[in-house]
Amino acid sequence: MDAHSILVVEDNPDDQVLTIRALKSASENSPVIVLEDGQEALNYLFGDEAGHSCRNLDSLGVVLLDVKLPKVSGLEVLKQIRCSPRTNWLPVVMVTSSDEPADLLDAYRLGANSFITKQINYREFTEQMTVLARYWLQINKVPKAGSAPSIG
Amino acid sequence: MMRGWRYWRLKTKLLFLTLFVSTLGIALVCASLIFVENRNYKKQLESELHVIAGILAEQSAAALVFEDNVQLTSIISSLERINTIRQACVYNEQDNFMTSLVGIDEQPCPSLDQRLELGFVDDVYRLLMPVSLGNETVGRLFLSSHLEVLRGHIRTFVWVAIGIGSTILLALVFLALRLQRIVSGPILTLSETAERIAMNHDYSIRAPVSGTDELGRLGNTFNEMIGTIQQQNLRILESRDNLERVVDARTSELSMANRELEAFSYSVSHDLRQPLRAIEGFGQALEEDCGEHLNDVGKDYLRRIRAASVRMASLIDGLLILSRVSRQSMENHSIDLSQMLREITDELKDISDHPPAEIHIQPGMQVVGDSRMLRIVFQNLLGNAWKYSSKEKKRVIEVSATLEGSVIAIEIRDNGVGFDMRYIDKLFVAFNRLHTPSEFGGTGIGLATVYRVIRRHHGTISATSEVGKGASFVVKLPVSGDQR
Repeated sequence: MDAHSILVVEDNPDDQVLTIRALKSASENSPVIVLEDGQEALNYLFGDEAGHSCRNLDSLGVVLLDVKLPKVSGLEVLKQIRCSPRTNWLPVVMVTSSDEPADLLDAYRLGANSFITKQINYREFTEQMTVLARYWLQINKVPKAGSAPSIG
Repeated sequence: MMRGWRYWRLKTKLLFLTLFVSTLGIALVCASLIFVENRNYKKQLESELHVIAGILAEQSAAALVFEDNVQLTSIISSLERINTIRQACVYNEQDNFMTSLVGIDEQPCPSLDQRLELGFVDDVYRLLMPVSLGNETVGRLFLSSHLEVLRGHIRTFVWVAIGIGSTILLALVFLALRLQRIVSGPILTLSETAERIAMNHDYSIRAPVSGTDELGRLGNTFNEMIGTIQQQNLRILESRDNLERVVDARTSELSMANRELEAFSYSVSHDLRQPLRAIEGFGQALEEDCGEHLNDVGKDYLRRIRAASVRMASLIDGLLILSRVSRQSMENHSIDLSQMLREITDELKDISDHPPAEIHIQPGMQVVGDSRMLRIVFQNLLGNAWKYSSKEKKRVIEVSATLEGSVIAIEIRDNGVGFDMRYIDKLFVAFNRLHTPSEFGGTGIGLATVYRVIRRHHGTISATSEVGKGASFVVKLPVSGDQR
């Protein structure tokens, strides 16, 4: 399996811990990369001003993107991901704690692959993460970043 | 008075009145002139005849004394020349007939034995004069004159009067036509001005005014009134503009407040849930990872902490729904209510661990409204019926609809625990509960949400119950969907 790591963009430290714990219990061997806000996510995906760019994204199996993030919102990050040929193939799962209908619609319009509401009950949340990790990392197939046809 | 008098034009009325009054005046003058002329002519005739009779009496006195009939006849025949005399008779001292002059009608001389009518009788004037010689009466003279001349005279007079009167009347009509303009002119101008103002709604028009008589004052008063109306219109327009500005300002304030409220409820939903999730999540993690270090009391506390956070989360969800149904715009469609209710009860059967219920839903029920909001309503009402009947051995939930004019009444009835009608006032108020959490779980927001949705659909909801025998909720919705 080539793509097996999970990128989690989540600002709340509690949620980071709980998400990592849930994902680890689902697939113990998958690396989990945690980023704290939208800007950090953009820097990771597209390279920062300092020039540390062209990180290899091949290993990424799925991005878990919180809708509400400091600095750059999750929906804005999603938009950027879908705009660039470097990243537009990435599976993105939007994650939110509120079930605001407007967010749901916006997320799919911007090209989200999935949208889930974090369950309050931790057992159910763990169940969600298990299903999610199993589907995106084991069942779903993604192309390699290098083989993505460049546009323009 | 006259039919259609008030539909006549003012000019016609004035002309008519002038003519009527003048004709009446001229007629009266003519009549009195004729009357006077008639009397004068009669007097003249009378005195003429008396003079003639006197002369004849004097001439015939001697002949009467000598009973000289030839002489008498010759005297009387002198009357032939006077053509008004119809008859002349002479009688002697013993009132015996002596001689006579008979005119055209040849009537015999009247006998003096009978009483004679004298003076003006019918078309005749009669006169009886004694013939005296010294102080002694020697006979009598009877004269009768016809009045044809008088009639002819009066007839001529009448014709002349009619001629002069008509000429004067014609002259008056001409004059009246000219002069009535002085009176009717300003009134007509005023009335035309009023019509123009009423038709064009142009209150800047003024009536031309001349003079200080009643008409002038009427014109001035009219102009003042129009001026007042013009000013008031101006003020109304100004205040309307002001009002519009105020309404615009309020509307933008309101929509700003609404946007803020939306942002607030978004934050509430997102930010209040997060710590709850952490409490619940770490509680579970604690139990799983460090469970062996906790005794039973510790585990019980942990369970309570997690249950409380789940309850709090459902409260937040309820509040969010309540706020959403209050501010969301409505999309009214025709809804198959029976189908919707079957879906809801299927969901209830799926997620609930309560014993099964006998559910009767009347088929073919249709309502008009916002399907998302009405789904929330019936989820709550059926959920309540489901929940509060859960302790019955054989429980029955019935939903039926009746049409009451332009309103459809939907009744949801269960045979559960019911509630005390004393607390009906609290039923639809948020956070008010009629059962303790240990009896039945719940947030106290459901029926408040139901109430708001029904109100937004211009409907009503009422409830009746008897403790231990079940509850009945009746939702009334306008059939057409939007009736204010």
